[in-house]
Amino acid sequence: MSTFEDLAEGQTITGEPFSPTRETIREFCEASLDFNPLHLDDNYMQGNFGKTNFGGIIMHGMTNFGLLTRMITDWAYDHGGFHRRLETRWKVPVKPGDVITPRGRLVRLLPTLKSRWVIIEVEIVNQRDEIVAVGEAMVEFPRHEVTA
Amino acid sequence: MNVKNNPADGFETDFWKDDAARKTWDDLVPGAPRKTVPYLLTKEAIQKYCRSVGDLHPLYFDEEYARKSVFGGLIAPPSIHILLMFACTPMDDWMRSPGTINAGQSWSYATPARPGDMIRLEARCLDKFIRKDRLFAVHDNVFFNQKNEVICAGRGWTIRPR
Repeated sequence: MSTFEDLAEGQTITGEPFSPTRETIREFCEASLDFNPLHLDDNYMQGNFGKTNFGGIIMHGMTNFGLLTRMITDWAYDHGGFHRRLETRWKVPVKPGDVITPRGRLVRLLPTLKSRWVIIEVEIVNQRDEIVAVGEAMVEFPRHEVTA
Repeated sequence: MNVKNNPADGFETDFWKDDAARKTWDDLVPGAPRKTVPYLLTKEAIQKYCRSVGDLHPLYFDEEYARKSVFGGLIAPPSIHILLMFACTPMDDWMRSPGTINAGQSWSYATPARPGDMIRLEARCLDKFIRKDRLFAVHDNVFFNQKNEVICAGRGWTIRPR
């Protein structure tokens, strides 16, 4: 059942903290089939990438995407909504040993001709309160019960 | 078609191996399609992905719970396209070039992917440009199920190795 009527702009959502390790990064390689050496090879990561030197392996940017998705779907399923869109940009690389936490804020509730939408600003912060990822999500709350 | 898209079945995890066969940034033609391969999405692959991001929602794991839900059965999380991108492209695809840096992505979701779906990808390079001496390529993708329903559509901004 939809609870769109109970939502308000400014409400916040917090996801589960995630602590990437070399093992979780390897697990993500296996699960996503993304074996880019950026995530596996410390020797390769001693080199420079343009003006950037990462100094060691980094977490997949798409792990951020997966964590943000999890936060949005957990919230949407509980409220009778459907996750429809996620746009993200990565700001700071995440490394083994970091602790990252997704969070979101409802910035707009907007009815359209045939449905109702919630715009959520999302971000991920690390243990130093640096913003490592930013983005925006859209969750749909159909006017009538639908089967997906 | 014999598609190796699981490490246990011989999926090549050494991304250096086919690097010479891959398109460089200079070779990319915006608008030109990428080669893709169909992929059978299994419950095991979905759940392996879910565990890797700590997402144990019963819609992905508990058949009884999922059957009684609005979805009527087990589904994959929307972000399953992270796996599908590599599962549905061959080893010489330019997304695998070592050093490819992902700058961001945006995706829209229509029909959820489900265990047993035969997934098809239509993909292309949409744009390429240089910004602050970095070589950017934009990729544009649509995943379909066996009923030709759109699962999701999205694009990504990557920084290519020079």
